[in-house]
Amino acid sequence: MDIAPRAAGATGAPSLLAYDRDHINELLNALAQLDEQAGQPTPKRRLNAGIVGIEIAPERLVATARFLRDSLGFEMLTSISGVDMIEHLEAAYHFRSISQNWLVQVRVKTSSDDPQIPSLVGLYTSANWLERETYDLFGIRFIGHPDLRRMLLDDEFEGHPLRKNFVTTPTVVHDRATTQVDAIRAVSGEQQRRQERVVLKRLGQGQQERIHPGMTTFGSEAVFLETGQGVGTDANAMHGYTIDEQYLEDPVMKPQEG
Amino acid sequence: MATNTPTDTAGFYQDASGLRSEEMILNMGPQHPSTSGVLRLVLTLDGETVIQCTPVIGYLHRGMEKIFENRPYIHGARYIDNADYLNPMINETAYVGAIEAIMGIEPPRRAQYIRLLVSELARIASHLVAIGTYGLDLGAFTPILWCFRDREGIMDLFESLSGHRFTHNYMRPGGVVHDFPRGWLQQCETWLDRFESVSIPELHELLTGNEIFDARTQGVGYIDPQQALAHGITGPNLRASGVNFDLRVARPYGAYREIAVRPQVRQEGDCFARYSVRMQEMAESVRLCRVAMDKMPGGSISQRVPLALRPPRGEAYYAVETGRGELGIYMISDGSEYPWRAKIRSPSFLNLQVLPELMRGNKIGDVIAILGSIDIDLGDVDR
Repeated sequence: MDIAPRAAGATGAPSLLAYDRDHINELLNALAQLDEQAGQPTPKRRLNAGIVGIEIAPERLVATARFLRDSLGFEMLTSISGVDMIEHLEAAYHFRSISQNWLVQVRVKTSSDDPQIPSLVGLYTSANWLERETYDLFGIRFIGHPDLRRMLLDDEFEGHPLRKNFVTTPTVVHDRATTQVDAIRAVSGEQQRRQERVVLKRLGQGQQERIHPGMTTFGSEAVFLETGQGVGTDANAMHGYTIDEQYLEDPVMKPQEG
Repeated sequence: MATNTPTDTAGFYQDASGLRSEEMILNMGPQHPSTSGVLRLVLTLDGETVIQCTPVIGYLHRGMEKIFENRPYIHGARYIDNADYLNPMINETAYVGAIEAIMGIEPPRRAQYIRLLVSELARIASHLVAIGTYGLDLGAFTPILWCFRDREGIMDLFESLSGHRFTHNYMRPGGVVHDFPRGWLQQCETWLDRFESVSIPELHELLTGNEIFDARTQGVGYIDPQQALAHGITGPNLRASGVNFDLRVARPYGAYREIAVRPQVRQEGDCFARYSVRMQEMAESVRLCRVAMDKMPGGSISQRVPLALRPPRGEAYYAVETGRGELGIYMISDGSEYPWRAKIRSPSFLNLQVLPELMRGNKIGDVIAILGSIDIDLGDVDR
C-alpha cells in the first residue's frame, strides 16, 4: 500500500502564522543539499502544518541525520513511528529544529522479512528509547543500538504486536476464573455443548478484510470455535454476538501453532 | 557517583579510611506511592549514593495504538483520554486535530475557542496534580488537599460541559459535541477568579517560600539545555532549562493562532525551576481562559462531518502542547473507516528517559524529589 500525497492546495488548508510559505521554502532549499550528497533527487513533499516530508534509503539515514543536526540545526529527534505497509516496513522519524522552527519527517523503508535500520543513538540520545519501542512493537532491528531490548512488553513476549499480521487472539487460552474451561477441551468440544459460545477470531490477520466488532468475516482468517460455557474471550462474544448456526456444524478448525 | 575505588572483586568499595561499602540494589515500585503510577525503578546504591538507576516501564501498556487500528476513527477520540489521563481534553484535541489535518477541514472559530478554553483549564488541572503530589512527595501534606479541591472545580465544569468527569469524550472531528450549558461561563469565571485571587497565592505561601521545599528542590536535578534537547524533553521541563519552546507559540494550532501565549521560561534548570514554571503557567492559563471567554465568537460549534468517517488517503503529524510537553499524533489513513496507523508521541515517555542521568550521583533522598519534578504520567508513558 502506498500513501498518495495530498493534492496541492487541498480543501481548506489552515492558515499558518508562525511558519509561512517562505519559511518552508527556505527549508526545502536547504534540504536540496541532500540531493547532491546522494547523487539523486530525494522525494520531498509538504505535509500538514508546514511539515516537510522526505524519503531516504536506510543506508543514508545516519548521514542525513548528521546533516540535519550539524548543518541545519535540528536539535531534537522528536519521534520514531514504525509503520507496517504489508509489503514493507517503514520508520517515520520526526526531527525538530527549535532555533529555526522547522519540522522534518524522514521516512525510511525496510523489508518486512529482515527489517534493519541503522541506529541514531550516536547522534540523538532520545533515539535510545524510541528505537527500543519501535523494535518492541514492530521488530525493526536498529543496527548499532547499544541495548536493543523490549521496552514496553515482557521480555518473554513473542511477536511484535503492531505488525498487521500479528494474531491478537492468544493461541494458548489459559483457564479463566469465570469459565474454568481448558483450552484443549474447549476446542475439542468435550464440554457441554451450546451453552454459550466463545468466538475466537484472528484479529489483525489480514487487515484488508477489516475484521472488527459488529461485522463478521467468514473465511480462512476467521476461526470460530465452539466451546462449552465460555464467557467471551472476544469483544463480540461479550456483547452477546452469536454467529450463524451453519458455521457451528462445520468441523472445528484448530488454531495454528505458534 | 562511585568515588571510592573497588578493592576486591566482590563489589566492595574501600575509601582512604578503610571503611568498606557494598553495592546494593534497591527495587522501587511498581507499587510505590511516589512513583505516580506503576513505574519501577531499579536503583543501584553505594551507601546512600545512587550509582545507577534503571527505569522499567510497561506495566500500564494497553496497546492503544493497536486498538486504534481496529476501531473506527471516532472511537479513538474517546479512548485517547486514557493515554494521559490527567489532561484528557488536550489529548482529544490532538487526536481529532490529526484527523482534521488529513481531511483538510478546520473546525468553526467558536469550536476552536472552546477547545482553547477547555485545554487551558485541563492544563491547570494537570499542573495542580503535579504540584500537589510533588508537595506530598517532599513531605508537605496540605498542598495536595488544596490542589485537589481546586481541581474538583474544573472537574465539575467539565462534567457539566461534556457529561463526564474524567474521560470527557467531548471533541469530534470538525468541532466539539456540546455547546456551553446555561450559566457555564459565569461558573467558569467564578472559579477562575477564586483560583487566581485565593488559590495561587495560597500555594505560593505553602510551597514557594517554604524553607524545606527550597532546600529539597533548589540546585537538585539540574538538566542542561543541550541535554534536554538531545533527550527530546518538551514542555515545562524544557522551559525550566532555559529553552524558549512552546508549541502554542512556535507552531500555533487552532485558536492559539489568534490568542498569543506568553511562554514561561526559567533559566535554572533544577527541580525548583520546573515547579516554578508550572506555577507561572497556571497563572498564564488563567489569563488565556479569560481572553478566550472575552473573545468567544458566536456561530456553530461543529462542522458537518459524516458519521462514518472516511478520511482520504494521507498522513499527518499533529502536535499540541499538553501539560507535560509535546503530544503528537502521527496518523496514516488508507481511506477506510479505520486508521492505518495512529502513533502517539507522548511527552512523558521522552521526558522519563533523562531520569538515569539525573539520578546518577545523587543521594537516595533526592530520587523522589527529582522524579516528582519531571511530572510523568504513567498512562502517557506506557500508552
